[in-house]
Amino acid sequence: MHLLECLKEVYDPELGVNIVDLGLVYEVREEPERVHVWMTLTTPGCPLHDTIVGAVKWVLQENTNKTNIDVQVVWEPQWSPQRMSNEAKEMLGYF
Amino acid sequence: MSRLPFLFIISGIFGFVMYHAFSLLSLTGWLGDELRGPQGWFHAHLFVLGWATMLAMGAVYQLIHVILQSNIYSLFLGYCHYFLFSIGIVGMLYGFIHADVIWIAGSAALVLSGILLFGWNMAVTLFRASQWNPVTISAACSCLYLVLTGLSGMLMGLNFAFGDWNGLHERLFGAHIWMGTLGWFGMLITGFSYKMLPMFYLSHNYSIRLQKVVLVLWNAAVITGVVAFLTGLKGGWLWFALLLLTAALLVYVYHLEQIQEKRHKSNPGPGIRWSVYVSRAFAAYAVALLIYSAQGTELLLHPRVVLLSGWIYLGGWVSLTILGYASKIVPFLWWTHKYGKQAGRPGTPLMAGMLSERNVHWGMIAMVAGSLLLVSGILINLAEVMMVGGTILSLVSIIYIANIALVFRR
Repeated sequence: MHLLECLKEVYDPELGVNIVDLGLVYEVREEPERVHVWMTLTTPGCPLHDTIVGAVKWVLQENTNKTNIDVQVVWEPQWSPQRMSNEAKEMLGYF
Repeated sequence: MSRLPFLFIISGIFGFVMYHAFSLLSLTGWLGDELRGPQGWFHAHLFVLGWATMLAMGAVYQLIHVILQSNIYSLFLGYCHYFLFSIGIVGMLYGFIHADVIWIAGSAALVLSGILLFGWNMAVTLFRASQWNPVTISAACSCLYLVLTGLSGMLMGLNFAFGDWNGLHERLFGAHIWMGTLGWFGMLITGFSYKMLPMFYLSHNYSIRLQKVVLVLWNAAVITGVVAFLTGLKGGWLWFALLLLTAALLVYVYHLEQIQEKRHKSNPGPGIRWSVYVSRAFAAYAVALLIYSAQGTELLLHPRVVLLSGWIYLGGWVSLTILGYASKIVPFLWWTHKYGKQAGRPGTPLMAGMLSERNVHWGMIAMVAGSLLLVSGILINLAEVMMVGGTILSLVSIIYIANIALVFRR
């Protein structure tokens, strides 16, 4: 839970919504030596792929003092807008 | 991120400013003229190659890895393309101003070499990725038409120099313009819109069936038009090509509606919204032209109809769509370059803060108003209205693009 809160600092720069509320983060697991993240993006070939992954690594390094951050971008299950939180939907004018 | 898209986009912006500055300096006197003769060629090539094609190529270099999820085949070829193409354009424009055939021929050879390198680079990139869908096939077709446009232009140049196929010159001229305008720009804009619009509208679960229909109809329109010009049949064949194009446009506009219906973001940004509006307007014009020319297909080649259609297509749909997309592409490119590695850190600006949406919105309105006044002047054949419309269009265009260029200072 703590790490998910940290990841709320990472925003999709185009949408202006953090990746947790967007529903992009599937799982975060902290181990003694490293942190694993399974996440996705709103669309395959998202031009912000490297930017968002880089930001996730930086935020987790800062908050865990671990240098080994393993971020896996996966396409299964596919992201859908239903994964967004109500806050995200409201920000995007979804309602 | 590679600096290659920057080079093309900044050069394209420079070409756009030059084009409008020259228009203002000539007191927009050339606007109502036919595009034959050195002055017309100068303005047409500055607009088409120096601005629209230059910026479109930059967008291709930026977006191709997004579309294919793999890198371009050779960045080195890309840089060679840039230098040959840009030096060639400058030389060609100098040749047109001075009506110097040697300069035009030599520089056109450089431009063509650049286009061939671009075509080769894209072909290898696309075939290596082998991800065939309406977006990638449209991109491949547009590059092919660009190469054919360059080759037909070179054939016309050779004919000027040696006069071996004078009977063919007029036919090549028609095919050259048809492939360059409808083939290169048309296929590129429709294809890239299938990627851009869903990204900015955050659209999901829409059908892509109509993208395939547009692809077939648009290609059929380009090929039919080229055959009509090359065989000299024109008339009915050209009208049939317009019929196919109009059908393609109507399906395209309807598909944009489908994408919007499945959106999950209410505001994609004014540049994207306006690109949809100008597509609808262009489709409406195509329908009107189709009905008007049904009474006599030779009307399609009436100089005023050609001039009006050229302005509505190139000055309207192509240019305004590129300008709308530029309001998204340029901030994205600069933000990723400057702040991409700082994402997630306190104090990093959002991409949305790079460019005022309000300025983009009013800029697009002003450019549309100037364009409407200009085409109204052509329609009623009143030089004063054309001049006022052209002056407004040039002034607001310079302000609009300057506003976008200011992103590079943020």
